[in-house]
Amino acid sequence: MFAPGARGWANLLNQKWRHRLRSTGLYCLMFIQAACTAHICAEHVGWVHRVIGPSMVPTMDPEGEWVIESRLISPHKLRRGDLATYISPLDPSRVVCKRVIGLPGDVICVDPTGKMAPSTEHVVVPKGHLWMSGDNAELSRDSREYGPVSMALVKGRQVARIWPPSRAIVFRRNFKYIDNV
Amino acid sequence: MFRFRAALGSLRGSWAYLSKKYPRVRWSIGALYWLPVGMAFTEFGGKVMLVTGRSMQPTLNPDDSRSRDLVWFDRYSICVNRKYTRGDIVALKSPSDSKLIVKRMIALPGDVVKTLPPYPDTEVKIPEGHAWVEGDEPFHSEDSNTFGPVPLGLIDSRLDTILWPLDRYGPVINPDLTMEQQKRRAQNRGPAWRKEMDEFDRERRRQARVVKAEDSSMG
Repeated sequence: MFAPGARGWANLLNQKWRHRLRSTGLYCLMFIQAACTAHICAEHVGWVHRVIGPSMVPTMDPEGEWVIESRLISPHKLRRGDLATYISPLDPSRVVCKRVIGLPGDVICVDPTGKMAPSTEHVVVPKGHLWMSGDNAELSRDSREYGPVSMALVKGRQVARIWPPSRAIVFRRNFKYIDNV
Repeated sequence: MFRFRAALGSLRGSWAYLSKKYPRVRWSIGALYWLPVGMAFTEFGGKVMLVTGRSMQPTLNPDDSRSRDLVWFDRYSICVNRKYTRGDIVALKSPSDSKLIVKRMIALPGDVVKTLPPYPDTEVKIPEGHAWVEGDEPFHSEDSNTFGPVPLGLIDSRLDTILWPLDRYGPVINPDLTMEQQKRRAQNRGPAWRKEMDEFDRERRRQARVVKAEDSSMG
């Protein structure tokens, strides 16, 4: 008596499927929105990244550590001793982290060890550029190889290490100026 | 869990109340909600930009044009595909002051380029991960001849289409004519043909200055 007819069943099924489709679509849209928000946040505000590689030993572990990166800085605000991230001039798809050594106008000895360039060679860092160097000179491809890095390539600054918790630290400029001591 | 649901319910209730009472709030919050999607699209898809300056004359902003060019820059092929092609017009951040400039990509890593006057050396081999960019108008252009090879990471987007003015509307393609095509085109000579041949000539002159790398993995 109360069972719906053939058309009624079809209608019910339709309704169910329509509802399912609608909710799936809505969830997809919400997912896209969340992904875009996360990406924009990572690109312009800051994010937690994993840093891997031997170039920053002993500051960073080569096995990988989780580090908070801030994207809210302007490259002109960077000072000597800051840890900056920038797009590698050798490979546009990689972002690398190195220490700022020279600011525009500084006179830099290209390689004091004399391995990559004669140790007497000095350059002036041009306007709008920075001299970047890894803490582990042996295993780092940095400004000694490709010269001063344009500030347009600079993405952000490493603020703090949060993982592993035993090595958690807020990064500070570790430069000592000899004439101040 | 119950508390969370209650909070969500009250949020929904207040949202319904607000959106009914102030339709403007509803619209602005909706716009804010979808803003990141738009931003992500301009990052990965592309964007419309206005080209100023005369460094790309006569391809962009020619003297006989009344308004500046409105163009569509395609970021997908640069940021996602990482496809760099010689002869493409690209927007890049200037290495000296980070401003966006529009130039033509002349050479890719491994190529040898004969440089133009302001550059100290006559020939330069493009290092790994770099490109050589030049404006079409050498006298009003600050390009690789002043600041040297630029890192590929500075390249922001590739010019795809001119949108405005309408008489030059259309995709920007490299003038790459074979002899056959040239002969066919030459049958109806006119101002358009002359312009085309000029462009072709410039392209040939540009290509004559570049020795392409043996293993050109890109483009």
